[in-house]
Amino acid sequence: MQNRFGVKDFLFLVVLLATLGSVWLSMVQKTRMELAQGEMKSKLAEIEQQVAQLGRTLERGVGVLPPPAGSAGGSTASAAPSGPAAWARPGVKVESWPAPHPATDPGSIPGFAVGGEFTELFEAQPAKLTPYISADVYSTRVLDRVCEGLGSFNPKTLKMEGALADGWQVDPEGLWIRAHINPRARFSDGQPVTAEDVRWTNLDFIANPLIEAERARSTQDNLKDVKVIDERTVEFVFKEPLFTNTLIAFGNPVLPKHYYARFEPGQVNQATGLLMGSGQFRMERLPNGPDQLDAQWTPGQDIVLVRNEQYWAEKPSLDRMRFKTIKDDLGRLVAYRNGEGSMMLPTSPQFNAVLRDEPDFEKTTYALKWTNMRCGYSFIAWQCGPRNGKPTPFADTRVRRAMTMLLDRERMIRDIWDGIGSVSKGPVNPESPGSNPGVKPLPFDPEAAKALLAEAGWKDRNGDGILENEQGDAFTFEYTYATGGEISERIARFVKDSYAKAGIVMKTRPVDWSRYQELLKLRDFDAITLAWGSNAPESDPRQIWHSESTKEGGDNFTQWRSARADELIEKGRRTMDEAARMAVWREFEACVAEDQPYTFIRVAPWLRFVKRDFGNVNTYKTGLQPEEFFRMGTAAATTPAN
Amino acid sequence: MVSYLARRLAFMVPTVLGITLMVFCLLAYAPGGIGAGLAVSGGQMSDTSKVAQMQAYLEDRYGLNDWVIVQYGRWLSRISPVKFGERDLRTPSGERVAPPRAIDDPPLAAAFPTPAVPVDAFEPAAGDDLVAQFKKLQRDAEGTRREYVGSVRLFRDALADWARAQGPAMAGRLDAKGSADPGRFEGVAIDPASPGYAKLRAAADAMHAKWVAARRAQALALAAFRAGPYPKSGIPLVPGLVSLDTPDLGVAFSKNRPVWDLIAAALPVTLLINLIAFPISYLIAVPTGVLASVRRGGWFDVLSGFLYLSLYSVPTVLAGVFAIGFLANRQYLGWFPVSGLHESGAEAFTFLPHADAAGTWHRGYLVDTLWHVALPVLCLVYGSFAVLSKQTRASMLDNFNADYVRTAKAKGVPRKDVVLRHVFRNSLLPLITMFVGIFPAMLAGSVVIERIFTVPGMGSLILEAIDLRDREIILANTFMIACVNLLALLLADILYAAADPRVSYE
Repeated sequence: MQNRFGVKDFLFLVVLLATLGSVWLSMVQKTRMELAQGEMKSKLAEIEQQVAQLGRTLERGVGVLPPPAGSAGGSTASAAPSGPAAWARPGVKVESWPAPHPATDPGSIPGFAVGGEFTELFEAQPAKLTPYISADVYSTRVLDRVCEGLGSFNPKTLKMEGALADGWQVDPEGLWIRAHINPRARFSDGQPVTAEDVRWTNLDFIANPLIEAERARSTQDNLKDVKVIDERTVEFVFKEPLFTNTLIAFGNPVLPKHYYARFEPGQVNQATGLLMGSGQFRMERLPNGPDQLDAQWTPGQDIVLVRNEQYWAEKPSLDRMRFKTIKDDLGRLVAYRNGEGSMMLPTSPQFNAVLRDEPDFEKTTYALKWTNMRCGYSFIAWQCGPRNGKPTPFADTRVRRAMTMLLDRERMIRDIWDGIGSVSKGPVNPESPGSNPGVKPLPFDPEAAKALLAEAGWKDRNGDGILENEQGDAFTFEYTYATGGEISERIARFVKDSYAKAGIVMKTRPVDWSRYQELLKLRDFDAITLAWGSNAPESDPRQIWHSESTKEGGDNFTQWRSARADELIEKGRRTMDEAARMAVWREFEACVAEDQPYTFIRVAPWLRFVKRDFGNVNTYKTGLQPEEFFRMGTAAATTPAN
Repeated sequence: MVSYLARRLAFMVPTVLGITLMVFCLLAYAPGGIGAGLAVSGGQMSDTSKVAQMQAYLEDRYGLNDWVIVQYGRWLSRISPVKFGERDLRTPSGERVAPPRAIDDPPLAAAFPTPAVPVDAFEPAAGDDLVAQFKKLQRDAEGTRREYVGSVRLFRDALADWARAQGPAMAGRLDAKGSADPGRFEGVAIDPASPGYAKLRAAADAMHAKWVAARRAQALALAAFRAGPYPKSGIPLVPGLVSLDTPDLGVAFSKNRPVWDLIAAALPVTLLINLIAFPISYLIAVPTGVLASVRRGGWFDVLSGFLYLSLYSVPTVLAGVFAIGFLANRQYLGWFPVSGLHESGAEAFTFLPHADAAGTWHRGYLVDTLWHVALPVLCLVYGSFAVLSKQTRASMLDNFNADYVRTAKAKGVPRKDVVLRHVFRNSLLPLITMFVGIFPAMLAGSVVIERIFTVPGMGSLILEAIDLRDREIILANTFMIACVNLLALLLADILYAAADPRVSYE
């Protein structure tokens, strides 16, 4: 064994040390460059702030521009001094709207300050952020801050009001809608919002078959044409007079043509986030040319929005919004507590446990629980039509009503969801003006239910404790649910016990979500449990409740047919006047509740924890409006508002 | 050796094909089918989303209604570097443009004769206008083709209605969903006098009109495609027939992004964590295993065995929850961050730690990253000590009893040299077997840990893909891991030969 340290070893060592040393030196050099860059960036940000402030002063005081419409009680009609008649069709009522403004003015609240960052914790990550191409709830929450449509729902009244549009006309016959865009409106790069942008968004973006916006496209099938009348006026033409026309016209975010048209459809489809709009916030960086797609959002990293200093109406007070994903429930709560997030969605047990165990928690947090237009409902659907050619016991309305009355839904909510939620009464969101206050959930009344079942022919005829019909067949049915959640297991057990007490045998059939979908499509079930979501004050009931929708492609999987409901649906869809339509929906809800094709179980409220470091946190019928929040000034931060 | 390598490599091709075919068939025949979970996901459906329409769109787009073997063949030809038939085009920005899709003939040509398709002359525009012209024709072709596909659906509905009107004999030809597969009506005489015929005829005429429009648009788009608005992609081998091109892993259903981009984003994250974790587990487990074998039965052996085995029996889920609940929670220790790979705003950090003018220290990007991966790495390594150190210990003990060790001891070789030079080196063989298992594990990532700590790595990617039955991601992943696994096994065999002169492949 020779262990001499030779020349070769020495040379090797020298080379190794030199390599390591140069790597180290290059790292040091990089750090120095980064420091210099950081300094430059902060200088730039300072200058940007100053310019923005200058802009604001100009708008307010010097009077070079016309005063911003709608800001702090500004006059609304004077924004268009030439009068609306210039663009409007004669003889049809024009509705005028001020520029968008916060539903609650943050400036009037003590502690108001400009600046700060707001971090929302997401439970899952959006796949991409390009409008219309992404469809999940998380990307929508980001898009809503960046893009604007011609109109939006008023958070307090849920009425559709102008956002980008400062006025519009709706054809009383329902075949066209004409809208005029606010002349101040501009995208975050300073380019004005024009009628051509609206036309392009609808006809060349959503309707372009090469762009993968199928979800948006499928809601658009009633749109016939979008005409550019003049630079700011656009007219939508529809095939049929349906109330959803206003949603198509006003609800869709308007995209800047000059930005999106730069990209090939393939690039738009595969980009992770091409996001630009006219909203209060904008992406931190935007790609400048078709080849600079690297600058977009990278999935896996936080989504960061910055205040749109070019915003054309009242600017938000927050500097930045950050969206951070933490998939683990416990991890999310811990991160929120550690101060890594400003807002989170707790699970029901978390919500209760934290409030129960930690009296101090509410000193630093608004624990919010409320029902809004985005709250869906869960239900058990009964097979009213034939299953594989054979009728089920639930074809009889009396049986369906009895099934509902046998379920103690109050207790279900208490036992399964920790008491969070309220008993659902029908298919219309309780916050919607179309909700019928006269409809109450059927009571929990096992005796009355048994009487109803007896009336329908189901009695215990042989004394074995199980109900039989006249032919002597026992009352058994199969309950199908999708696996993958503790909640659905608990519901199944509860429902099984409830019906066993009444002498009904329920067999459970857990299947995975893909199979479940197929069973829905085949209508191959006796009873099935599911939840419908909601994202607007009213939705078109045709897809779920009309007898035509029992066919393949429709979502009336219970095969419930009611001539009365069909008539109301058709009438409601074609009623353009909102108040009259709401009356029809109320009647419709009563009709569904009477027939009980579903046993309506629970309306899930929204739960949120928001740090008290932020002010102007209000719960609305549309949800929350984080763009109205502000970060408390340092003096006020110690004394919580409200 | 060379012939051995060649044989092994040749055998890999059918093995990989077999693996992918099996996975493909499993996905295709699973109840619910490919991509069924995608139309709606998450247990709550939105009442405004038109589920059926979305499903039809996906089926049309990915050809999910074709025979499974045809779909597999399509997948195979996509990932193969050798392409047959017409070459794709490539835009200056790098997107691949395939020729316009072929259009199926309308069903039931016997009962409803297919109309003739007029041939339009194609006038290629000059220069840059050709690209604009091609884009327009491409859009027309896709639009008319979709309309045609929709009209076929309406025709099938009309056929089902007609069949029901004819009585049970005809209605028996409908499938379980009550819809009509035109294949089952091939050869059925459709009497123009039968009830409901007028509606069926109208649907057929509408379908034919759409078909003619789609065919014409497709022919024009194909002509424009052949006029070459962009340069062709790949290298020709036999002009017009065989060419070489980059393999294409496809586009993920669920995220609508190229699978390769998804993997390229997830893989470095998993590699980073594993490249930190594996050396740690080896550097701790192997020396302690050696030490335990040397002092066999001593306090160190017993204690390390006890400790490692108890760590081994703690489930990762529990450890992860404890780590978050105690180590990351500021109510307790709060030493580590809860999730993610970087602090908010880490993009603006410098790379190395540094102190600013006021004398406060900033972590810098490097330390920040290490600090963030600390908990995932901890959860990844603690369970691996037991197996590795026990394996080392056992094979060391085997060799301690061997004759050559006794001889070495007898001739007076120092104990240190006996342990390290003779016994340890000879105990490496089983460790090689275990070592190659690392490579596929490195790519696969840990599903549980990545979920708990919200690490956007390969484990999260594959888990989501399985949830949503995202065939493209699952197949690409399986393909990749199968290849790496086979290569790793080959590497193990080569390393045996290198480590042990008795092993030879000549």
